[in-house]
Amino acid sequence: MKYFFFFFTLCLPALSFAQDFEYGKVGMKDVNLQNKAIDSNANAVVIREFGTAAIGVDDDRGKLYIDFQYHVRIKIFNKNGFNQANIVIPLRKYGDDEDMISDLQASTINYIDGVLTRTELDRKKLFNERKNKYVSLTKFTMGNLKEGSIIEYSYRLRSPSIFNFRTWEFQSDLPKMHSEFIAVIPALYNYNVSLRGVQKLTSQNAELYKDCLRIAGRPFDCSKMTYIMDNVPAFIEEDYMTAPSNFKSAINFELSDYVMINGGKRSITKEWKDVDYELISDKSFGTQMKKKDVFTALLPEIIKSETDPLAKAKAIYHYIQGNIKFNGFYGLYSENGIKKAMEIHSGNIGDINLALIAALGAAGLDAEALILSTRANGTVNTLFPIISDFNYVVTKLNIGDQVYLLDGSDPLMPFGLLPLHCINGQGRVINVKKPSYWYTIVASQRQSNRYVLGGELGIDGKIKGELTIYSQGYAAYDKRRKIHAATSVEDYVEKLDEQMNGTSILQHRINNLDSLDYALGEIYNVEIMAFKNMDADPAYFNPFFIDRTIKNPFNLNDRTYPVDLGASTESRVTISLKLPDNYTLADQPKDVNLALPDGGGRYLCNTQLNDHTLVFNQLLQFNKSVYSPDEYLTLKEFYSRIIQSQKTDIVLKKIK
Amino acid sequence: MKTFIVILLTTFIMLQTQQISAQEIYPFASIPAELKNRANTVIREMNTAVTMHSNDNVTMAVKMAITVLNKTGEDKAGLALYYNKNTVIKSVKGVVLDAVGKLVSKFNQGNFDDMSAVSDFSLFEDDRVKRFMPSSVNYPYTVVYEYEIRFKQNMFVPAWHPTPYPDQSVESSSYTFSCKPGDAIRVKVTNYQGQPEISEGKEFKSQTWRIKNCLAFKPEPYAPNPETYLTCVKIAPVNFNYYGYKGSYNNWEELGKWIYTDLVKSRQVLTPEIEEEMRTLVLGISNDKEKARKIYDYVQQKTRYISVQVGIGGHQPMPATEVQRLSYGDCKALVNYTQSLLKAVNIPSYYCVVNAGNLKKNMDPDFASMDQGNHIILCLPLKNDTTWLECTDQQIPFGFLGSFTDDRVVLACTEAGGKLLRTPILSPEMNLLKRKAILELSDDGNISGKLETRFSGSQYDNYSSLINEPLKEQLKQLKTEYDIDNIDFSNLKLSQDKSDAPITLESLDLTIANYAPKSANHIYLVLNLFNKVRSIPESRTRTLPLYINRGYTDEDELSFKLPPGMEQQISPKTFLINSAFGSYQVTAQKQDGKLLYKRKFVLNSGTYPATQYKDFVTFMSDISSADQIKFVFKTDLTKD
Repeated sequence: MKYFFFFFTLCLPALSFAQDFEYGKVGMKDVNLQNKAIDSNANAVVIREFGTAAIGVDDDRGKLYIDFQYHVRIKIFNKNGFNQANIVIPLRKYGDDEDMISDLQASTINYIDGVLTRTELDRKKLFNERKNKYVSLTKFTMGNLKEGSIIEYSYRLRSPSIFNFRTWEFQSDLPKMHSEFIAVIPALYNYNVSLRGVQKLTSQNAELYKDCLRIAGRPFDCSKMTYIMDNVPAFIEEDYMTAPSNFKSAINFELSDYVMINGGKRSITKEWKDVDYELISDKSFGTQMKKKDVFTALLPEIIKSETDPLAKAKAIYHYIQGNIKFNGFYGLYSENGIKKAMEIHSGNIGDINLALIAALGAAGLDAEALILSTRANGTVNTLFPIISDFNYVVTKLNIGDQVYLLDGSDPLMPFGLLPLHCINGQGRVINVKKPSYWYTIVASQRQSNRYVLGGELGIDGKIKGELTIYSQGYAAYDKRRKIHAATSVEDYVEKLDEQMNGTSILQHRINNLDSLDYALGEIYNVEIMAFKNMDADPAYFNPFFIDRTIKNPFNLNDRTYPVDLGASTESRVTISLKLPDNYTLADQPKDVNLALPDGGGRYLCNTQLNDHTLVFNQLLQFNKSVYSPDEYLTLKEFYSRIIQSQKTDIVLKKIK
Repeated sequence: MKTFIVILLTTFIMLQTQQISAQEIYPFASIPAELKNRANTVIREMNTAVTMHSNDNVTMAVKMAITVLNKTGEDKAGLALYYNKNTVIKSVKGVVLDAVGKLVSKFNQGNFDDMSAVSDFSLFEDDRVKRFMPSSVNYPYTVVYEYEIRFKQNMFVPAWHPTPYPDQSVESSSYTFSCKPGDAIRVKVTNYQGQPEISEGKEFKSQTWRIKNCLAFKPEPYAPNPETYLTCVKIAPVNFNYYGYKGSYNNWEELGKWIYTDLVKSRQVLTPEIEEEMRTLVLGISNDKEKARKIYDYVQQKTRYISVQVGIGGHQPMPATEVQRLSYGDCKALVNYTQSLLKAVNIPSYYCVVNAGNLKKNMDPDFASMDQGNHIILCLPLKNDTTWLECTDQQIPFGFLGSFTDDRVVLACTEAGGKLLRTPILSPEMNLLKRKAILELSDDGNISGKLETRFSGSQYDNYSSLINEPLKEQLKQLKTEYDIDNIDFSNLKLSQDKSDAPITLESLDLTIANYAPKSANHIYLVLNLFNKVRSIPESRTRTLPLYINRGYTDEDELSFKLPPGMEQQISPKTFLINSAFGSYQVTAQKQDGKLLYKRKFVLNSGTYPATQYKDFVTFMSDISSADQIKFVFKTDLTKD
């Protein structure tokens, strides 16, 4: 990253223009505030919150910084709100530079016997935890806390990272009565501003702030932008959702360009062509993609006699999977450089996938970089090129008309399938020679399971037969992980056997455990205790003992955010069972054929008796990976119908 | 000149030979086959030498070689060294070797990541950790570590736990403790065959324990406390130095006395104002227990739990005056504060060290040491009515401990000396859940009705995660408690009776749409809606005793009003299962024109031989299938 050096003296504006509320001046309105007035479920509420951010200059070091001030007043209604009084302020480190905190003030205000009393933070109880090499935490807790206490704190934070102006989150886990943010930006700097989330701003104002700073005697103007949101509801996370940051109401700033003192304009992240240029020429990105020479000598050994481009690509992919171990750090950029990563067999996402691109390139294949943001990191802004939105890079391989997305960081991921955390909307493809473009990332395979049980029911009530389970896509990945987590295949099967009460696994065979590009097959010779008493007339048997839906995952009555499953899924069960001669079918589950609207999903189930052989089929499909909140109740009903269907039995009757 | 070269060469060759001796390269091929069974990692060799040079200077030198067999074993390949002001990492280095023992890479302290080691429950602690994770893409590989730690105290001497993980086998491990010939130490050896090797030198006398070829094993459910079956050696020096405190102890009596007099007593000074406030608070109450209840209530109202563990603060409470001023503290601070307030009104109490957690663990009666507790509670030795107080929880009833600290041996620290006491037992009869539901089944399969549940004993805490939540959240979480498709609740009321035998009460109205499904000719009604036992895993090879930590009793009584016609098809059903593990009784019968379902399940606590595990599986699995019983009604008798 670059620094800006100013060789002039620059006067720092006093931040007196900010309309902060007065510290500690609590009125009876605050004292009498009840949670019923805002949200009867709230344990605490933010009465007022105020922040300002401005650019300043450190004269001694000739560096720019962001001067951020924060002030909040919170009312605690009950004991469950007490954890709001434990404050953690993260301070980041950027190489030699770091965030600095000052002017910290924290108080608890109680109303006791008609008097407002204030308890100040004990400085000895202010802790600084050096968390790791990137972050340290300033931590404190409020003293003398009671139900009904008002807590208030404010601080100033000086951050050297001017590329990311502060993100202001209007929405948090507490409801807020008033949240206000003022950004003061010298006219020299332009930031891309984006508002996210469903909540609307109550007011917004931009003013020209004349002569806000003076550089070398020359006055400069600032834009003073005020954003206010009143009565912001608490943000409540739901199951099956992507990053909360995608939905929380917040305002983001990213530096786009600045005017140099001599009048020239310099763009930082104005257009994608500039970003392309920067990335391609960056020695931790484009330079690494181009380092084909790292692999030239290794290639003959890797691809052996393969001539087919796809076969070559697979060989290279599996080679990278096996030779650079993921060190746990995400990132677009190569941490060690791919040469070093190959030497020490360790690297971050950048190292691994840029190496993959270089290796594929060395073999004459067309591989591009696809940069993306992981599901937990939130979706990317597609209006402006905001490079800090991206935190991950994978490989986009083109063979003819076919596209393969590859991530070499997980040794169990099959060729062409990205880990689920990468499936998150759009990514940008960066090509060494061509302009970049958007690409929609979808999982190339659905999560698919197929169970086939063929067997015979004896008069002793036992089913003897063969159960075969085929898994593909993420289902195969999950299964392989489980098998590998056991100390051996035998131990895995033993555990499986022990967990299935009433079922014994007599023999087993696992196919394609290490051939990742093929379906995983498990073949078990089983003996299932189906009927404890075959003499009971009639005898009930529930055929839904394989892959049974017990729980409705969508059991709530309303939904705010989309249901995001990541990938489409499919599960099939086929049971064919030869019955003893003297038995016949007396009753059976109703045949079911359910479908979600617009081909969103399907559930099929039917039972037939053909010549003493009972044939049972079941299919459950979810064809979309994302369902809108409107579809939630439909999904819930869909599951509910499945559960009802699975509660009914096959009834066998003796032929008399 | 020539001779010189020859000598040099010889030395060189000797060194070479030493380096490639099989001992040092740990080839994978030399691991005995049985050690690879069920193992993800193998400790090839681990030698721990703890030396007590003086009471404020104890060193631990470790050499460890570990072979990682597969990716799953990788998380055991790393090394984490904790340190603080009193614990210094003197040196650490190592090598990574491949399967045949060829050097892959070397590393030293510079390759370790440094980070804070503050536990989740704490606001701050001054412990830090240095971590190293080897990176090797090929399995198996071996990591060899050599490190030395210095402790500036001897209160906590590193113990020997040679087999900490089930999926790790141990080829060889040893532990040597050395101290000056005149130093008195106490030693506790658990699950070790034989006697230690003893060597007495001029400067030091040493004892060495060794194990060889310990197999990896399968973790088993319902297993007893691992300390009962794993090898362990613990050392407690008689004379100690801890953060400048000097003292000595041979038993719990002396240790308890030291904790109270040196760590606690001086922290109990109160201001005259607060002493006066306490006297005023209990004015007019004559009974000590009622006085204590009043003060306990005051503490619960005033304080909250915040953990800060700094320096000796890890074992010394924050002064009572500070808790008074800040209204917060950790378990030590809150117990110390409560004890001080009680003292102001002349009620004696004991500061008690306990090993808290759901699994009951005792202070070892035979071996006093500082490392056995993790929590502090307060004991009131009232005449014929010993009362226990959990001061860290602001919601818990007076005199109630719950499953966190029930039924175990604790150390009461008093001025007169420490003594071991046992906290009250929560018996299966006391841990009672009593549920009553009055339900109606409509002819289209919907259920509606009312439900009431009373939870007591250890089950009092069943709803601890939702009792204080807002109603909206309670309704949401209750859908997980009663995980039935289409269930909806209204008029939910959760309350707690905090008397001496506390009870959590739940009362609600419910509806379950489409509960009883129809097939072509039948309607299926599963009678047990709310309380189903799950079967437990079978075991082909049970080795450990069966241990049931805590028993309980569940009584469910459900009455169903059925649509006309259906009730005629009812024929009574009964299940009765009795065993050493408990009992199960279910009846379903017609009564006053309704279907009445009664279920009583008692699970006993206890320890049983490994051979009985399969009986326990049968017991649970029989109950699990009995819990699924359903009435099947013919639909031709109903409207459609």
